[in-house]
Amino acid sequence: MKFASVSAAVLMAVSLPWAGMAQPIDLSSSVWDGVVNIDASMQVPDYREPWNGGRPTGGSGTGFLIGKNRFLTNAHVVSNATKLVIRSSNDPEPHPARIVFIAHDCDLAILEAVDGKHFEHLKPMQLGGIPKLNTEVIAVGYPIGGDRISVTRGVVSRIDFRQYSHSGVDSHLSIQVDAAINPGNSGGPVIQDGKVVGVAFQGYSGNVAQNVGYMIPVPVIQRFLKDVEDGKYDHYVDLAISDFPIENPAQRKALGLGEDGIGVMVGSAEPAGSGGKVLKTGDVIVAMDGSPVFNNGLIKLDDELVNMNEVVERKFAGDSIEIEFLRDGKKMKETVKLARFEPYVRLGNLYDERPRYLVYAGLVFQPLERNLMDAHSIQDPLVNYLFDNFLGDKLYVEKPEPVILTQVLPDEVNTFLTPYAHGVVEEINGVKITRLADVKAALAKKNGDEPFVVVKLMEVNRPLVLRRDLAEEAHPRIMKTYNIPQDAFLGE
Amino acid sequence: MKTFLFSLSSLVLAMSLCAQGPEVAVDSGGVGTPREAIIKSSSLLKVNVTYQSFSPHIPWQKESPGSRRGLGVVLKGNEILVTAQMVADSTYIELEQPESGQKLTAKVKAVDYEANVAVLVAENAERAKGFFAEVKPMEIDTGARIGDGLSVWQIGPAGDLIVTPLRVSKVETADYFVDGSVFLVYEGNGIIRTEGNSFTLPVVKGGKLAGLLLRYDSKNQVTTVLPAPIIDHFLKDTADGTYEGFPNLGVEFQLTLDGQFRDYLKMKEGDTGMYVSQVMKGMTGEKLGLKEGDIITSVNGFDIDSRGNYRDPQYGTLSVSHVVRGRAFVGDALKVTVMREGKEVVLEGKLARKNPAEMIVSPYRFDRGPNYLLAGGLLFQELSKAYLEGFGRDRQTGPILRLARLAKSPEEFEKKGCKKIIFLSAVLPTPSAQGYERMGGQIVEEVNGVAITDLTTLDEALKKPVNGVHTIRLGEFPHLIHIDALAMERDNMAIITGGYRVGSLKRIE
Repeated sequence: MKFASVSAAVLMAVSLPWAGMAQPIDLSSSVWDGVVNIDASMQVPDYREPWNGGRPTGGSGTGFLIGKNRFLTNAHVVSNATKLVIRSSNDPEPHPARIVFIAHDCDLAILEAVDGKHFEHLKPMQLGGIPKLNTEVIAVGYPIGGDRISVTRGVVSRIDFRQYSHSGVDSHLSIQVDAAINPGNSGGPVIQDGKVVGVAFQGYSGNVAQNVGYMIPVPVIQRFLKDVEDGKYDHYVDLAISDFPIENPAQRKALGLGEDGIGVMVGSAEPAGSGGKVLKTGDVIVAMDGSPVFNNGLIKLDDELVNMNEVVERKFAGDSIEIEFLRDGKKMKETVKLARFEPYVRLGNLYDERPRYLVYAGLVFQPLERNLMDAHSIQDPLVNYLFDNFLGDKLYVEKPEPVILTQVLPDEVNTFLTPYAHGVVEEINGVKITRLADVKAALAKKNGDEPFVVVKLMEVNRPLVLRRDLAEEAHPRIMKTYNIPQDAFLGE
Repeated sequence: MKTFLFSLSSLVLAMSLCAQGPEVAVDSGGVGTPREAIIKSSSLLKVNVTYQSFSPHIPWQKESPGSRRGLGVVLKGNEILVTAQMVADSTYIELEQPESGQKLTAKVKAVDYEANVAVLVAENAERAKGFFAEVKPMEIDTGARIGDGLSVWQIGPAGDLIVTPLRVSKVETADYFVDGSVFLVYEGNGIIRTEGNSFTLPVVKGGKLAGLLLRYDSKNQVTTVLPAPIIDHFLKDTADGTYEGFPNLGVEFQLTLDGQFRDYLKMKEGDTGMYVSQVMKGMTGEKLGLKEGDIITSVNGFDIDSRGNYRDPQYGTLSVSHVVRGRAFVGDALKVTVMREGKEVVLEGKLARKNPAEMIVSPYRFDRGPNYLLAGGLLFQELSKAYLEGFGRDRQTGPILRLARLAKSPEEFEKKGCKKIIFLSAVLPTPSAQGYERMGGQIVEEVNGVAITDLTTLDEALKKPVNGVHTIRLGEFPHLIHIDALAMERDNMAIITGGYRVGSLKRIE
């Protein structure tokens, strides 16, 4: 249900902190003290040469104290970090820090200082609620343009369900403000009446739209804080269905709906998703947890019309939701246990993960993920089809993790196979390949005394054949020539 | 000084041509009359074509007209030979005498877009008489070989003949005009100047027609010639009034050069042949009994090497496709020897042809608009290569990638008995299609309970709404839509007469 289409929204790539004060700005107040600058050194994984360590880089953002030695910031400020340092506004000393929890799906993270004593005297900032439209807020942080703390001011412009560009695939409630949010503001608090009403996190570059910045609102923050109470982050849950608004009178009539504007059609339900266990295409959802769902997919919550996903958004792994729906005109009611929808994850950006791969006689196998698509800029129409229609055509059912032959590192043993790079692996030695881990076992499998390793690619009508003895002789040579320290990394 | 040199070189050329062909008129004025056109050909006509293609995405509309100007070669019976590309989607064709500028309206008598050849005749036989009075037909010479000297003929503004020599450096099979159509070509190096009417140019050997210019790569100065043997084949086929076209084998091959692959196929040292990787449904190869995994070792007595070539008596090493396609006719005997599971098997049959119209995804379509059906703003079309190519390479995302993949391997639809793959390509906003405006790209599976196998079944199904409502089931999100039957009829009227001004609600040919 939160399958967002690709949107133009851009993450403020450099973290932009936004710290703001409430209306009466009391400069003597300690409200600033809890807002810290975060300096991150990062290592960006190399999905092209996955055995390499990656490219070192760095960034800077904002965070703020929310509890004893607990700093809240954006996940994208500290993603892929190798070293973190926090600095408070009136203290020149850098303090090493580390990540306690990180949630890439809602772009939030909690840090702690390695030595928390330094921050003990600071008062944690309090969370407020959802601010009203056209009320004033301030953003506080360490954006570009100087080294010291910065404050910008604006009003709440819009409250909406939007895509979070850190993962690129998740959408949650987000609040638009017209206070300037610039690179470096990320992770900083947005404040109203002395309380935090959001975490500044993304916006548009000036040539797309003006004065459009976004903050993560308190319900999303609170959900994150509650999720990690048990010591680990369980991620958002998802119904994994797509709704199709009912605007057509014939559609309304045929589905047996009244004129009251209630009911939205299920356009597709992922068989592996939690919603798909109960709902199917053509069903009409009329209520969730007792609240009516309207023809356009909105639901009434706390007297506000919001996207019906919002009901699911507030739940946690293992929670249930009660869905009332019509099937062939008959009223039904089912309880759905909610879970994370895994196939969805690889369509988004992945962080803090070491790229997985396997090299065999110069053939490099990698799982299909967005990071891989971006790194290899794959033009092959089949691979692009798989990626773009992974959910739509339910491709994940057969191949939960499509494996791509991303490169053939040339050697005399494989020189005839180089044109087949970017192929999708279907089968190795008669074993169907559904995920990267299958490749290792399949390569090792011997068919009697047949001296060949046989790789079948999707829609390539000839097998790729290597003589096992030659391949095994060539393998160490290729590893050495191409400077590959380890022939596989299949995951922790 | 310069003038002198120019005329001298022209003269040399003229003389050599004179020796080759009697139809070349030579001005023997020599050095003293350098500014006159020196040679002329009475077998060439300028051909001016106006064309207008249909829009693949707005199928009831035509794009802006354009024009192509080339040279046609007069053959016996006053038929004019041009490339098919020249007359594709033509709306008006005229022939023009190079010198006098006299014009005559012509029409296409026969055309083969795969072999890229067409024959034109006068629209009105009476008027043609005077027009062709001074014209002499040209003969065809299929005997060119590697190393032969040919010349490319162009006509200058005053009707003067411009001759550029060309030596055949290579004979091979290469892509023609329609995607996937591969036939014999001559290739040579040389510079061809830019002139008017250069879209199609004759290539001549000893005064006889050796081919038509297929393309010229100015960067590499490579000239590719559509050779006489293919033209001759086309003319022979058209002679009896019914055109059958070139046979097609319908088999995908792979090379067998890779030593480990050869070991795997149990090919011995010195064994040659090509590996059959795919056999298309309903085509010659399947009818003959070829199977995936076969290794073809000989075709009609020619041994096949590991690159899929044979030794042609005229051209030397050449792709076997020339044996079964370029030089063969539908109905010719075909004898193929294959190695199958270590044993030699001989397969015999006849060469056949599957026409584009019989194919589930139309590979090309000219002169006729794309088929479509408009119903209450919903635009249904047949999946075709032309439709997909209309998007260009850069815009191939999501739904287009999916459709392109279906077009590449439509076996699943063939199994279901589909004659064409019908999809909802776009929606014109109308009251009856309210809420569906942003749809597009979904395969149509079933309408009012009837399985959709082509536009005709769809057209029929839309005549039978249930309880006044059409139920349309689609292969993709949102899978199911309904439209009020009466409202749809009302909108159909509005689509014809209203703002969209769609001339007709359907084209099903």
